[in-house]
Amino acid sequence: MTTEELEQLLAQQPIALLHRLARGRVQRHFRAGKRRLIEVLLRHSAENRAGFESDLMTLIGEKPTRTAPPLPQAPAPRKPKSPAPQRRTTHRSVEPESHEPGVTLSSWLEGLGVPPPKTFVADAWQEEAIAKLREGDVVVSVPTGSGKTYVAVEAARRAIAENRTVIYTSPLKALSNTKYTEFSKIFGADQVGILTGDRRDNGQAPLLIMTTEILRNLLYDAGGGEIDIRLDTLGLVILDESQYIADPERGVVWEETIIFCPSQARMLLLSASIGNPHDIAEWLTSIRTTPCHLIRHSTRTVPLRAGYLHPNGKLTPLFRTVGIPHGHPTHLHPEAKRLFLQYEDETLPSGRRR
Amino acid sequence: MPPSIHPVDLILALRDKHLTPAIVFLTSRRACDEAMQSFDHSHIVLPPPRQEAIAAVLDKVIAQYPSIAEHPLIPTVQRIGVAAHHAGHLPSWKIAVEELMRHGCLDAVFATTTLAAGVDFPARTVIITQSSIRKSRDFMDLTIGEVQQIAGRAGRRGKDLVGFAIVTPSPYIDLNVLTKGFTGHPEAINSQFLISYPMVLNLLKAHPLDQIQPILAKSFAQFQLNQRAEVLQRKLDDLGEQMEPFGPRVCTDWITEWQTFDQVRRQKSHRAPIRRHEPPEVAARFHFLTPGRVVGFARGRGVVLRQYRSKGQKSPMITALREDGGITESPASTVTEVSDRILDCVDAPVYPWCTPDSVEDLLHQLEELPGRLPELPILIPKDDEPIPDAIVQTLGDFACPTCPSRSACQRDYPIAAKLRQEQHRHVKSIQALRTSLWHRFQEKIDVLQEFGYLTPTAHLTEDGEWARLIRIDHSLLITELLRAGAFNGADPAMLAAVMSSIAHDDDRPGAFPRVSSGLASLLGQVRKLAVSLSPHEDPPLLRADIAAVTERWIGDPTLTWIGLCKSTTMAEGDIYRLLARTLEFLSQLHTLKVTHPGLADTASRAIAALRRGVLEELP
Repeated sequence: MTTEELEQLLAQQPIALLHRLARGRVQRHFRAGKRRLIEVLLRHSAENRAGFESDLMTLIGEKPTRTAPPLPQAPAPRKPKSPAPQRRTTHRSVEPESHEPGVTLSSWLEGLGVPPPKTFVADAWQEEAIAKLREGDVVVSVPTGSGKTYVAVEAARRAIAENRTVIYTSPLKALSNTKYTEFSKIFGADQVGILTGDRRDNGQAPLLIMTTEILRNLLYDAGGGEIDIRLDTLGLVILDESQYIADPERGVVWEETIIFCPSQARMLLLSASIGNPHDIAEWLTSIRTTPCHLIRHSTRTVPLRAGYLHPNGKLTPLFRTVGIPHGHPTHLHPEAKRLFLQYEDETLPSGRRR
Repeated sequence: MPPSIHPVDLILALRDKHLTPAIVFLTSRRACDEAMQSFDHSHIVLPPPRQEAIAAVLDKVIAQYPSIAEHPLIPTVQRIGVAAHHAGHLPSWKIAVEELMRHGCLDAVFATTTLAAGVDFPARTVIITQSSIRKSRDFMDLTIGEVQQIAGRAGRRGKDLVGFAIVTPSPYIDLNVLTKGFTGHPEAINSQFLISYPMVLNLLKAHPLDQIQPILAKSFAQFQLNQRAEVLQRKLDDLGEQMEPFGPRVCTDWITEWQTFDQVRRQKSHRAPIRRHEPPEVAARFHFLTPGRVVGFARGRGVVLRQYRSKGQKSPMITALREDGGITESPASTVTEVSDRILDCVDAPVYPWCTPDSVEDLLHQLEELPGRLPELPILIPKDDEPIPDAIVQTLGDFACPTCPSRSACQRDYPIAAKLRQEQHRHVKSIQALRTSLWHRFQEKIDVLQEFGYLTPTAHLTEDGEWARLIRIDHSLLITELLRAGAFNGADPAMLAAVMSSIAHDDDRPGAFPRVSSGLASLLGQVRKLAVSLSPHEDPPLLRADIAAVTERWIGDPTLTWIGLCKSTTMAEGDIYRLLARTLEFLSQLHTLKVTHPGLADTASRAIAALRRGVLEELP
């Protein structure tokens, strides 16, 4: 067998076989991509060509017997349902599942565009959140960009209509400023005030925007006897980005705020998707006078698709499905997988060439 | 192939597939700036109407915030329709970029992932180039929640039918982290209940000490600790059930009883160990009886050829070559003196234990030795009798050997002991979980009492009354500085400079203006105090170079913002944030006007001097 033939033969083999071949021959072979692996194996085979070839042949000869046993088991449960697909799998018996073709790029890109303008209709969860706020506190945990602000605005509107003060807090001063501009447009400049570390505008307005630290300080001063006249008319406290409760340095401020929030005020906690919103809701229920209602959902209003862009400019879907296969991180698009392996091959430490 | 896609190619590819506008998240500010630079000579310009649209929006923002009129990125933004948005920029610039994005004027924004939470604008597409971010000087993989937060910026409600999150590789990217992030369920969040000194003071101001524990019990931290405690409690209940068959037997606490008995039994094993009764002097000497050593016996001398211990002979043995040429085996105790001489001796593994030549040689040397030889001074350890084990002595007191339930105890002991150990562990952890928060609070109380902010009955002292108003990081250091009178007579610039060096927590290196000598010595004092407080509070970085930036800004009212920026390599946005934080610290000092009127006055003058130019323009 010439070197070229051997190289071709190696290239035809699955990478798992190459790794088995490299075991004991090449150090750190698991780091290498296929091309690199073949290269190293060939270099290595020069020392003991005959032994290498015979090992390769045994591995190739062994392959079908090794993959054969799982065959009868795998399609078995599907048997009664549909015989046709089962047959197909027997034909491509050696191929693992991941070789199923993924979606094409065009079908992945399909649907891209601007939706026709339509009048805004609140989602069911948004309505529910606003309605539940009449009965008690509400924790909202929904994906980014689902329209949490709408809930905040509507809830604030209702509280203001009932002549109650609303406090809206955000973790960052910049976000507070953005919200100040945004709410001023919605409610009118005289209805909105802002309090941050060094800014105090329109402090008597019914809707006050502040950083959470400022609210915490207000609550402390009220607790310390320096009565702030506004706390007894406080009707609603909105804590935006309340996943900050897990912030290593500032998280405690959210807890203090929630603990010391006057009992007559309703709380509305808006948070991005987190793993345990029910804990937060349960906690609120346990320490506050009214029960807390949890609103959570994980479907995005605008569906999300994931793609892979190779440095050479080639775009492919990242997953085999059009949307994101939740719970199946390994369902990669074969093309994306191939391109990424190629990329790793050329850039990762295993290819330490300069 | 380049390690990652070139920004120009990226924009071209996005435009080609109609995937704009996009947010491109890059690893660092520098990467964002370099990406912007790469458009300098590119020809992928926007059509004139879109350029005009950008100019119109920019004009509107500039009218509000004149500080960005001369921003160096404006030409690129207008020509290409791309912008950079990161913490190194002024807030007004970031507002401009956000405004442009909201109007849909831009094709792409290069931003840092660290700011993903602060980026308040969506786009059709999000480009992800890395799988880890820098968190407190260390690179950490993105969590599922973070990946989703980043990807979540894709797809504008009402403007897009679908959003796209596109991964493009750069070195050190780990695709698994990202695919898991896309498809996974976000992590649970955990409470981070940091008990600070101002918190303790404020709580004690409003509530007496005995009400504090119920308040702490209301925290999310305690809620989560309780959850963990409940899990343990359930395990404990399970264990209790499993322990049922191992209840009281003949003796109530049979597990302990058996444990002690078993231990004792093991210690007093029935097979007596081989005891070598050798007097201490023999044992001490034996180490010196090495081949070649000249020793004296009751009659005559000899040279040691080998030493050995054997099971048959209870005492240690030596083989010696005697003066008469005989080779004898004798116990080491027959040696009467050990001299300090060692003769050359080539030892061999078989009789006569040295080479035949050396036998001759040794005999010869032995004859030539003088009559008296100095003896080797060997310290003989005091014979310490092993203390009889108290438990071993009382073995006769155990009832176990004759107890009717002995066989049952013996059978069940291993499993019952394990269960009981587990029980003890759980009980202890549950106790710790229930009380840890309170203990941490008490620790802080102790410190505050030590420093005199609290009375022994945990009421606020005079100092405590004003100290509770300082609700910022490093509050203990600041209040201690005030008590030490460190700022007496300090001018506004000095006060603000020290405050900014306390406030600044970034260790990014750079070039900075010189520090004045007065400020340097004051900072030296502050540092000394900070170090002495370090057992109770982490000391701040206290960078003199940072203080100098603030000192210049306040000390020289004619200094323009651009002039300040030119005096240092610090990014514009960082200077802004530094000054804004200093403002916050100063306004806390300003609240002390009742107790520290002089200081509050200096602080308010510093605030007035600080707030000019760019800092005045933005809220």
